[in-house]
Amino acid sequence: MRLGRDSLAGLIFLAVSLALLVQSFGLPQLPLVPVGPGFYPRIVLIFMAVTSAALIAQDLLARRAEPADVPAPAQPQPAYGLVALAFVIVALYLVVLPLLGYRIATVLFVAGLQATLERPATWRQWAILAAIAIATSAVTYLVFERYLTVLLPRGSWTNW
Amino acid sequence: MFELLGHGLLTVLQWNYLVPLFAGTLIGIIGGALPGVTITMTIIVILPFTYGLDPLQGLAAMTGVYVGGSAGGLVTACLLGIPGTPSAIATTFDGFPMARGGAPGRAIWLGVWSSLFGGLLGGLFLILVTGPLAAIALQFGPWEYFSLFVLAMAMVAGLAESSFIKGLLSTAIGLLITVIGTDPIGSVPRFTFGSEFISGGFPFLPVLIGIFAFAQIMSDIEKAAVPKTPEAVLTAQPSLRVSHLKVIGEILSRPFLLLWSTIVGILIGVLPAIGGSAANMLAYDQAKKFSRHPERFGTGVPEGIIASESSNNANVGGSLVTIMAFGIPGDAVTAVMLGAMTIHGIQSGPLFVSQQPALAYGIYAAYILAHLLMVLILAAGALFMLQITRVRLAVLAPVVLVLCVIGAYALNNTMQSVYVLLIFGVFGYALVKGGFPLAPLILGLILGDQIEINLIRAIMTDDNPLLFFTRPISGALLFCAGLSVALAVWQHMRHRARTAREEAPDF
Repeated sequence: MRLGRDSLAGLIFLAVSLALLVQSFGLPQLPLVPVGPGFYPRIVLIFMAVTSAALIAQDLLARRAEPADVPAPAQPQPAYGLVALAFVIVALYLVVLPLLGYRIATVLFVAGLQATLERPATWRQWAILAAIAIATSAVTYLVFERYLTVLLPRGSWTNW
Repeated sequence: MFELLGHGLLTVLQWNYLVPLFAGTLIGIIGGALPGVTITMTIIVILPFTYGLDPLQGLAAMTGVYVGGSAGGLVTACLLGIPGTPSAIATTFDGFPMARGGAPGRAIWLGVWSSLFGGLLGGLFLILVTGPLAAIALQFGPWEYFSLFVLAMAMVAGLAESSFIKGLLSTAIGLLITVIGTDPIGSVPRFTFGSEFISGGFPFLPVLIGIFAFAQIMSDIEKAAVPKTPEAVLTAQPSLRVSHLKVIGEILSRPFLLLWSTIVGILIGVLPAIGGSAANMLAYDQAKKFSRHPERFGTGVPEGIIASESSNNANVGGSLVTIMAFGIPGDAVTAVMLGAMTIHGIQSGPLFVSQQPALAYGIYAAYILAHLLMVLILAAGALFMLQITRVRLAVLAPVVLVLCVIGAYALNNTMQSVYVLLIFGVFGYALVKGGFPLAPLILGLILGDQIEINLIRAIMTDDNPLLFFTRPISGALLFCAGLSVALAVWQHMRHRARTAREEAPDF
């Protein structure tokens, strides 16, 4: 039988909880405190292991009860590729943020993500995209650094 | 009490408090009106702005967002048939048919005035009940606190619509996140695997922002290809002129409906970690059940709008009671407020009202004034809100994500919090796609440390575990927790046939 989404999630959480449960027994005991630092995590991990196992059992029972291969109603396909790309762009932003500094990295990030989500077709649209990217970076920088005294990352490469 | 409230009102009426409150209310209404942007998302966006403000300024702005967001959803719900936030879903049922039937002004203003009345009644409850509840909570020992937190989590997990087991597992994940790092009693590192990155544990706010904001933005991005609002509806410019006296008369001529919907909203607000999205649906359902003509609901009856809108604003008052009296967030929005209070070194809980009366009554005052500002802003610019809904996701998503990054970075000026933000962003999105409810996770995350501290304190005071059951309040709370779990199991077994469909994630 193929594992369902819930069974898979349950197995991952069960594995994590059991692995950490084993590790919790290696935590040191403290003098003066009747229960050690592993006492409460063990309760949480046992609770997690039991609920994970229950989720797997529930999923397997539900799949056994349901007839197999029932065609799902037609629905628009979620754009998972776009989501993955958006996550990659955010990750790249976080990589360049301490290198280029907030102002430059933010302009690149806002422009990049905008262009990915909705590719401009004309020069005018490209200009609007660039204006939004620069304005976002400049306005947030001014508001946070100048008015709210919230410091934003400086770039180690640019010192800006 | 009323002297303190008067003082709070005078304080918040000063420009340096009124401006953040006004800005918060305006941004809240805009966030509430924008389909796909929830109140939680809006409050996360304004969170970094509050770092540089004084505590009352920041909390006033957040209260404004909460109140404005709860009302803002009605604009798009009535005029476009799309709820701006989950707390305006039920408003759509009768608001849109009424507006389409030629009375858009009546639909909007029934919603606005109901929000005001429901919100102010919720405020009365907030002011009158928070102090006495906090006084009761002051009698609690570690056994009672532990049991109270267990009850809160049992209720939230039980209320998870998609799956009770997933609700419990989600709670366990939230609790597990809090045990990573140093233990709160002896500072022993736990599950850190020698990594400096997680040696101090995961900071609460980046985790919360990552889970909620990323899960929502990415869920919006995955639907980017799906066509949205029909242009024909958007381009129409309806007239919102209406006789306000007549509309107010329509609401006040149904005092039982207004009062009952408000009570439903307050009670849902008081319950931990469920918000306006449940309140408006339940109040609408109750209004339909009590109506002599339930078959008319959904065709544009005022009762549907009054029930939905009065309950979702009253819900705000209820949520604030729980956070101010017990330090337990009523929903994700108050969880962010709790985080903001921690940043300013304010401990929310039973001692909050007595130790910080100026701040507590300032919040009450901000809550009341935010309702009045909400009416003024919607009177001036309800149609402008419609124009704002044209902002495209391609513009909105990067700006929101930048503000999330600032919110995480500015906590302690390190990139570590920003990396935590991304890690939990991916994790939160995966959980949503797996059908896991996020509210129990957040509650587990917020209460995890407190549960452990109170459990260990109780054991250190007296190692008899039966005390959790034999102390009257603690025993009663644990009994209620057991009852809540049993009820949830029974309900889920009864509705199993109906739960085959996938629930929409509730942010």
